[in-house]
This record gives sequence, structure tokens and C-alpha cells, in this order.
Amino acid sequence: MTYLMYIGYLVVFGVAVTAVIGLLASWIDRKVTARVQYRVGPPLLQPVIDLVKLLGKETLIPSGASRTMFLAAPLIGFASVIAVSTILWTNSLSGGRSFLGDLVVVVYLLAVPSMSIILGGFASGNPLASVGASREMKLVMAYELPFVLACLVPVILSGYTLKLGDIVGYQTQHGAIALSGGGALALIVCILCMQAKLALVPFDAPEAETEICGGVLIEYSGPVLALYRLMKTMLLFVLPFFIIIVFMGGLRLDGIHLVLFVLKYVGLVALITVIRNTNPRLRIDQAMRFFWGPMTVVAVIAVGLALMGW
Amino acid sequence: MNGMHIIFRADRLSISVAVFVAFFSVLIVCYSLGAMRGKTRLGLYYGCVLITFLGSLGAVFADNLVLFIVFWGFLGIPLYLLIGMGEAERASYTAKKTFILIGGTDCFMLLGLAILWQLAGHPGLAQFRMSGIALPLTSTAAIMAYLCLLSGTLAKAGALPFHTWVPDASEDTHASVAAFLPAALDKLLGIYFLMRLTLEIFHMTPAMNTFLMALGSITIIAAVMMALVQHDLKRLLGYHAVSQVGYMILGIGTGSVLGIAGGLFHMLNNTLYKSCLFLAGGAVEQRAGTTDLGRLGGYAKAMPITFGTFLIASLAIAGVPPFNGFASKWMIYQGILDNGQYGGGLWVVWLAAAMAGSALTLASFMKLIHAVFLGQPSTQAAQLPGDSRESGPAMLTPMVILAALCVVFGVLAYSIPLRLVVFPSIHAHPEFLGLWRPVAATFLLLLGLGAGVVIYWLGAAMKTRETKPFVGGETLADFSAMRVSGTEFYKTVQDMPFLNTVYRLAEKKAFDVYDVGAKLTFSFSRVLGACHSGELPRYLAWCLAGTLIVLYLLMR
Repeated sequence: MTYLMYIGYLVVFGVAVTAVIGLLASWIDRKVTARVQYRVGPPLLQPVIDLVKLLGKETLIPSGASRTMFLAAPLIGFASVIAVSTILWTNSLSGGRSFLGDLVVVVYLLAVPSMSIILGGFASGNPLASVGASREMKLVMAYELPFVLACLVPVILSGYTLKLGDIVGYQTQHGAIALSGGGALALIVCILCMQAKLALVPFDAPEAETEICGGVLIEYSGPVLALYRLMKTMLLFVLPFFIIIVFMGGLRLDGIHLVLFVLKYVGLVALITVIRNTNPRLRIDQAMRFFWGPMTVVAVIAVGLALMGW
Repeated sequence: MNGMHIIFRADRLSISVAVFVAFFSVLIVCYSLGAMRGKTRLGLYYGCVLITFLGSLGAVFADNLVLFIVFWGFLGIPLYLLIGMGEAERASYTAKKTFILIGGTDCFMLLGLAILWQLAGHPGLAQFRMSGIALPLTSTAAIMAYLCLLSGTLAKAGALPFHTWVPDASEDTHASVAAFLPAALDKLLGIYFLMRLTLEIFHMTPAMNTFLMALGSITIIAAVMMALVQHDLKRLLGYHAVSQVGYMILGIGTGSVLGIAGGLFHMLNNTLYKSCLFLAGGAVEQRAGTTDLGRLGGYAKAMPITFGTFLIASLAIAGVPPFNGFASKWMIYQGILDNGQYGGGLWVVWLAAAMAGSALTLASFMKLIHAVFLGQPSTQAAQLPGDSRESGPAMLTPMVILAALCVVFGVLAYSIPLRLVVFPSIHAHPEFLGLWRPVAATFLLLLGLGAGVVIYWLGAAMKTRETKPFVGGETLADFSAMRVSGTEFYKTVQDMPFLNTVYRLAEKKAFDVYDVGAKLTFSFSRVLGACHSGELPRYLAWCLAGTLIVLYLLMR
């Protein structure tokens, strides 16, 4: 019975709804970017059309690549994004009860998409992809420390629980975590870590079109590239969704709260877009120093404030 | 002595550890049949493996600390011999270093046992267990005894500050020995005794718990940071063997049932994946004739099964769900949280260190996978003859079994390892603070994989064409210098401010107890040596000076 329920959640919410919202968000992102640059921007269906076009193209595999790993890597990342998405949806739609996994599980699963991109880049046997993948790895190392610290803030404030349902339940009663001092600082850290997890400017060194021609994805084409694109598009929903759950009160389906949820989500996507349009790319060592330096300090302050109950 | 007649005794903990000891002995002998073929001194090698097996069983079942220490100390000899059999030039030096570190801490253990015997009035593990009265760590003598006994477990398991023999030994000895001793048996024994010490013999205080947790966290981070910048396959794995001990000590140090169960579980998991990694590394070494990361590369094509087992074990050690490493780390984190509910704010540091350490572990293994299996083959790797270069079945079987167990222990964590081994061993069934349904989550992940395959199928993913890699329009084959081996991936980390100083000091072995100790000893003996120059006038001067001092003291 539960397994049927999980299949239902996975197909309907984990894949379909997540993909649709993600595609919509990526359209917003592209449209806003275009308007900032005085262009007209793409029509609404453009992200879908791009994917469909890629699906029809043939798959090129570079000679010297490790074929199985090259094709399997996108699948690993895609599966993990779907799993995270399903975990977040089941926990949000079940009214405070917790299913499948807790905060630690989600944090760990959210590192898998980056890992799959790295494995794919390594498997392609292209030196530029290797360089890009190593940058992605260094980025993961760098942001994981402040990200973990920031994610501990809701744990502390909601009374030492790791269950997502309990964290949302606490916020329903006491107001959003982000409204406390520690929570607000942790939210800022998490948003910047999200930017890095999405590998968007200023943290796009792994893909850096102008330096290493797309880096990790340089050899990918056709349906395999489409899967990576879809994975990233879905992350554009899953990551803000995660942040809303742990910091901003979560998803509630009754009337005004649903509207508020949409507003919070659109706000986060707009923020991502603004950051990526107003910043230059950081070198990878600058990005590492940024996360291990100021961001970690801010996260530690946030944890300190949370421990004092602020 | 009262109760001295009980010499050997088996309880759930010792049986569990003994089963693993036996299991690894069988696997290593099987692997060695393939890996050690054609090597010399095989009689000594298999003899040492068997003696280690028997000695470990003796230590695990000993119910009396005197007997335990006899077995424990005896295990140093086969360890010395096995490491000394390595083919590296430094092998005999490393064996000596190991023997001195292990033997030196064994002396501390004897001292600790003496103090303990004096305090408790008996050396029997049985009495502690039966009476249920543990020594409180309140008096200085009790703390001394605990620390002395602890030093032995730390050296055996390879935790800071006595860890330095593990990377050296891993690099210089045969991969099968590295997989057998530092990766599996020494962890089992070290952590087994740490459990006995911490749970049965002594009653922990919050201060000592904090000390253990700090030690564990430092071990995790320091060792994994060192692993990031290594250039040798086996040495890198050796540093991870150290880093993982940190998680076990951290878990046991929490003092919470969840954390202790997690620590014990992590010990079992670590032996599985770490042995698997060493064995797969050894298989690559046998083909390539080197473990220098700069000269490997591209072995995934030639050795697909080895690569598969190595990949699974890497994901397990990095704590990627749903593999076994994640399950035990997840329990340890809850243990830290459980401990933190009642203590100060320091728990955040331990938790952040453990969780960030796992990202660093992932980074380190990604580098390894690139340098050994993926990426472009080095000129040397490309020239290897033959089509099928996969290892023989004797070597593959243990690796495949271990990798399969990494999956089983992760996905069926509740129904197999926790229910059958871990919870009975600690006589408790803790309540979880978090939530993790590995079977259902694996089910979801598989469904997700299926969804991805459907997308491939919808598109024309199977319509593939091979092309040349695109490197700015140049032909890759013409520029061999364009090869990225991966060895220098984390140079950026090494060059970070503050970290560069630490790395430089570590290169000078400033954190190596053995090296620092040797330097101290030699500088001491240099002073004495300078006094004994062999010149008669100088000796006469010393005699005169001595007489004057004696006279002064007498006349005063």
C-alpha cells in the first residue's frame, strides 16, 4: 500500500509537477535575464522545445570515454533529484507526518546531482571536462561546510529534531525560522549555497563557457544532455522548495498559505536570477575562500544565535 | 584470584567481531591466491595471516585483561613481519616504525592495566560485566589508566595521534596486507577494545566524552585533508583508513546509545568498504605495476568489474545514500544530536566536522576515481598489452562479495546488520531521532533510474556515434601534455592561506609522533654523545667537575 502511494507521489509530484514548475521557473529566469539585457526573450514553451529538440538528436560519445559511466552518470543524478523531490513532497502533503527520510538524508541526496555531473565529466575523457569537474568538486567541498552549519539552525530552533515534518510543524506554531536572527542569517547562507549548487554565476566556474567551453558538459549531446538539463531544471524547483520547508514555513495547502508559498518560491527564483545577472564569475579559489571564509563565519554566528534561542 | 579461572568467554559483541575476523581472513586468503602468485616467502606470508587470525580470535574472546594484552601484544609480531614483506624500498623502515608505535603503546597499556588492577582489585573483564560496576573516571589514577589503555586502542585502530603507521604501511606493503590489517582486523580489534573500555570497564564522564568526540572530529578532518593531496593510491586509501576511525570514536564518544550503535555499525561498514577499496587498488597495482596516481588512468575500460566494486565502495565510504556508510554515519549524527541536547554548544562543531568531512571524503574519492579509472589513460596505461586485463576470479570474488555487502548493509540496514549484530551487541534498542527508510528510498531511486531510462528511450539515446573529444578544435592525441591526470586537482586547497602552512608542516612530519619522538631521542643522545668524545682530558674534567659538585653538596 505504502509502495503504491510512493509510486503515485513519485510519478505525479516527484517527476511531473516538479518538472513543470522547474521548466516554468527556468522560463522566468530566461525571460527576466533577456529583459535585463534589452532582449525580447523566449516564448513560454521554449524550455520544453529545447528538451524535445535534444531528445531527437543523436548521442555523440567521445573516443576514449568510459562508455557505460558516461551514459549512466546523468541517470544517477536524475534519480536522486526525483528521490529528493518525492521526499519533500510526501513530507509536505501528509500534514506533519514524516516519510522516507529526514534533513540529513535530504542534505546528502542533494550532493548526488553534483557528483553525477562530476562522474560524467570524468568519464568523457576530455581534459576540459576533467578541469571543470574538479572545479565542481572543489565547489561542493567549499559550500558543504557553511550549508551544513546553516541547515543545523532550524534543527536547533525547532527543538533538536531532524524530521522535516517536525520542523514545519514548529514553524506552523511559532512562525517561520527565517524570522529569527539566526534563521535569517542561515537563510542568506543557504541561498548563496543554492546558487553554487545550481552552478550559476558567480559560481559557474565548473561550466565557464568562455574558459573551458562548458567544462563538465562539453562532450554531452542529445538525450543524455537533455537528461542533465532536465535534472538542473528540476533542481531549480527542488532547492528553493527545500529552503522554503526548512526556513520559510513550508508548504500549506489552505487558501492564503498556498499563495504565500507561490510568492516565496517566485521570490527565491527572482533572487537567483538577479544574483546571476549582476555578478561576474569568481575564480574557483576565490569561490572556495568565499565559502570557507565569510560564509562559514556567518553560518557560525547564525548557529550561535540559534543556540541562544534568538 | 577470585574468578581468574574464567579465561575465555563469548558474548554477542565478541562473537560479532570474531565472525568478521574469520570472514576477512577467508576473503584475504582467497584474494592472495590470485594476488600473491609467484611471490617469494609465501609460507611466511600465509603463516602470518593464519597466526593473525588465531591471535585476533584469542584477543576477542579473552575474558581477562592479562590474557587479552598477551594476545594483543603478540599480534604486533605478524603485523611487523607482514609489513616488512612489502616490495617497497622503505618496507623494512615502515615495519620498524609500526612495531615501535604499536609496541610503545602496548607498554602504556601494560601500565594502564597495572593501575586498573590496583584500582579494581582484579583484571577480569568478566567481573566488570557481571557486577555491572564500572570504574568512575573521577580519580587521577582512573583517568591515567583509561588514557594508557586508550592509547593502545588508538594506535591499533589508527587514530590521531598514533595514526602515522597506517598511511606508511598501506603504501609500502602488499594491498592484501593493507586490506587485512589496517583496514579490517586492526579496526575491529581497536574499536572492540574501545567499546569494552568505554562501556564496561570505565564509567564515562562528560569531560572524557568530549575529549573522545574532539579526538574523533580532529581525526576525521585532519586525515581527510591529508588524503586530498596524496599522490599515491594506497597511501591515499591509508589516510582514509585513519579518517574513518574518527567517525567510530566520535560515535562511541557521544555516550548516547544511538551514537555507540552507530560507531559499532560504522566499524563493520568501514571494514567492508575499506577492504574492498584496498583489494581493488591492489588489482590495479598488479596490472599497472605502480600505484603512482600520475601514471595510472583509464582503467575502467580494461577492468570494468574492479571499477564497479571500487565505485560502490567509494560511494559507501563517502556516505552516499542508500549505501552502508550513510546508514552508520546517519546514526552517529543522531548520537551527536542526542548528546547535544543535554550538553553545551560544542556538539555543533563535532557534527559539522563529521558532515563536512564526508564531503571532503567524496572529493578525495572523486579524484581517485578520475586518476585511476576514468580520465585519459597515461601513456604507460595505454601501452598495456592484451584485450582482457581484468583480474582473475580469485581476486575478483572477494571484491564483489564486499561490494555486494556494502549495498546489502545499506539497503537492509535495519533487518540485517542492526537487528542481528549491532543492537544485540550493545544490549539496547535505541529510538531514532531522525527518519530513514532505506528500502523505500532505494525503491524510489530505482524508479528514478527507470524514469531516466524511459527518457533515454523516448529520445534516440541508443543511436550513438563515436567522435573525437573536443579540445578547442585541437586533436587530443597530438598533445600528450594536455592530459589531466587529476593528481593536482586539489592544489587550490593546498594553496589556501593558513592551510598552506599546515600542509608544509605536515610535509615536514611535524605531526608524526614517531618522527617527533625520534628527533627528540636523537637530539638527547647527541648531547650525551658530545660529552663522550673519547678524549681523556675531557673525561678528567667531567670527573673533577663531579667531585667539586659532590664536595659542595657535602660541605654545604
